Amino acid sequence: MEDRPLIQTKGLTKSYGPHKALEDLNINIPHGATGLLGQNGAGKSTFLKTILGLIQATSGEGTVLGFDIRTQGVEIRQRIGYMPEYDALNPEMDAIHQVRYSGELLGMNPVVAQSRAHEALQFVGMGEQRYREISSFSTGMKQATKLACAIIHDPDLLIADEPSNGLDTKAREFMVSTLNTMVQDGKRSVLMASHLMEDVERVCENIILLHKGTLAAQGKIADLKAIDKEIEIHVWGGATPLEQRLIDQGFRVRREGRVMRVAHTEEDTTTHILRAASHVGAQVRRMHEYEASLEDLFLAIMDNLGYSVKSSDDLLRSPMEAKRVDAPERLGGGAS
Amino acid sequence: MTENEQPTPEVSGHVPEAPVTGQGRMDVAWGANTGDETEHELATARTVGAGQVFEQKYTPWSGELNPRWMRNWAILRHHLLGIVKKGHRPWTVPTRLFILIAFLASLSDAGMTLLAGLVGSSEFHTLFGVGRDNLYGHVLGFFPRNVLYYPIIAALLVGSVISEDREHGTSALYFSRPVSRFDYVSMKYLSVAIIQAVVILGTYVLYFLAEILAFGRGWAWMVDLFPMFLAGMLGGLLLIITYTSIGLSLSSVSTGRFFPGIGLLAIVFGTKTLAAIVKNLFERELLYLLSPYDCVAHVGQALIGTQTTYDQYPWTYSLVSLVAINAVALYVLASRVASMEVTRE
Repeated sequence: MEDRPLIQTKGLTKSYGPHKALEDLNINIPHGATGLLGQNGAGKSTFLKTILGLIQATSGEGTVLGFDIRTQGVEIRQRIGYMPEYDALNPEMDAIHQVRYSGELLGMNPVVAQSRAHEALQFVGMGEQRYREISSFSTGMKQATKLACAIIHDPDLLIADEPSNGLDTKAREFMVSTLNTMVQDGKRSVLMASHLMEDVERVCENIILLHKGTLAAQGKIADLKAIDKEIEIHVWGGATPLEQRLIDQGFRVRREGRVMRVAHTEEDTTTHILRAASHVGAQVRRMHEYEASLEDLFLAIMDNLGYSVKSSDDLLRSPMEAKRVDAPERLGGGAS
Repeated sequence: MTENEQPTPEVSGHVPEAPVTGQGRMDVAWGANTGDETEHELATARTVGAGQVFEQKYTPWSGELNPRWMRNWAILRHHLLGIVKKGHRPWTVPTRLFILIAFLASLSDAGMTLLAGLVGSSEFHTLFGVGRDNLYGHVLGFFPRNVLYYPIIAALLVGSVISEDREHGTSALYFSRPVSRFDYVSMKYLSVAIIQAVVILGTYVLYFLAEILAFGRGWAWMVDLFPMFLAGMLGGLLLIITYTSIGLSLSSVSTGRFFPGIGLLAIVFGTKTLAAIVKNLFERELLYLLSPYDCVAHVGQALIGTQTTYDQYPWTYSLVSLVAINAVALYVLASRVASMEVTRE
């Protein structure tokens, strides 16, 4: 069971008339935590609806937890927990009753649903607020209640759409640690759609990056990061000649003042840097391997796609005109 | 109690850095100590290993989920029990109060029948007792029941049944679970219809029973009046179905409570008033076919066998019109519910 991918799609395409919301997606999501990234309009929502079995794919096939997304939507939705991004709670109900009702909608009997609602709310840190009306809740409390609704039946897969969106630091920290607990201690799988790279990186081992309905990258974050290893050096005196010399030697160099990052493409890159510094008379005062963040990885991927964006916010929040969307194969895309 | 917790509370002097736990607060609030402690002992704290009370622990669940009928029952139960009980769908207080008042008011003829039985007055019985006109009047009479009670109940009920799911995004709660759109809308429809049926048909049955009790009616009387009674039930059902279809279709195109409710009343009373004006001014009755109430009343009158209000056209015209009105309303309802989103609204 563990060997079989959690979610698998082959040539999944969804068209609305001439517009292709999803195009030829070949995705394999393993068990564990996976981040789903992509700008507005990238196809995240369509992808989620398709794997929930709520809309029919135009072509292609896919399975979730071994169930066919075309014919077994009900079975899929019984086994997954979905935490929507937007408000999905009745503000006039108490948290306990709302969570119990969400369990009943799954087919739990009311007594069992009530008991599980207590446990789920306790788990998400809402034990003391169970009998409070949802209208009096903060955003963080509402998010926690939505999470409790999603996990009441102990789903095999939790789909969390922007779980930490709009939360203050403390609530965000708690949400991330709660998802981590589910994955680490509960051994459950999470598919987390988010634009907060830091949160995705803290919870997930894998990412899926969608762009304009196509797959831009997929794989383990650690493996993808390895593509973009760099050595960071702090240089005093002669930074410009050193930069030039390294570029002449065929290294890719990014520079911000006296801090330079050199692509770690060869085993003896450090030796080359030190030799070059010695040659131009520059002082290397600090040198270490640069640990790329998911944000860096994201920017590198987008750079490969032909974009020049400064942060993930640029890309995720505002639509951009695509120049090309074919991801390089080394980044997991299926570009020709 | 967690493994890290000490078995007995430890009273210590007030230390600012000491973690203030829930137990500590309770000790202070409820005076768990003897009350003779020195002042610095008033703030106490239970020593907990982790320094906090909350311990996050994921509890697995391996129970069985019930099939479709149980999920549908959950939706129905949620809406029905909400009228009388906290913890289910939160119907507003005015809605609950009005339903109670309308229910009691609808029992007025049953009460009068009982009274007639008690005082033994035949005139009283002629006025209020079970008969062709009174059976019709209980479910389909215009004033006061179809002016003051039934359409208003329907308006209050349908006001938010579907629109609230658009407003609060709770449609995601349904559609991300194994609930089909057909089940969702049919259970909501059924719940609104059942609540109306309790008021309209429930009181109708009680009225009939009151006559049996008050006047000691036998089988012969019951068998004699039963077709008429059934015709009244059928008329009441048509009324409930029509009000519910129109009301829910309005609710499905809205995100608020006001529009569906007021829209239903406007359609019921607006078309009725228009038909009445045209009839009085031009002696043309045709426009009553646009009025849902008039059409139900016309069909009901024909079924029960009482005198018809509109007699230029046969009652089958009204039936066709009713079918058309319901079909349009159900089409709007179905298409709007089909377009409800699970990821965002």
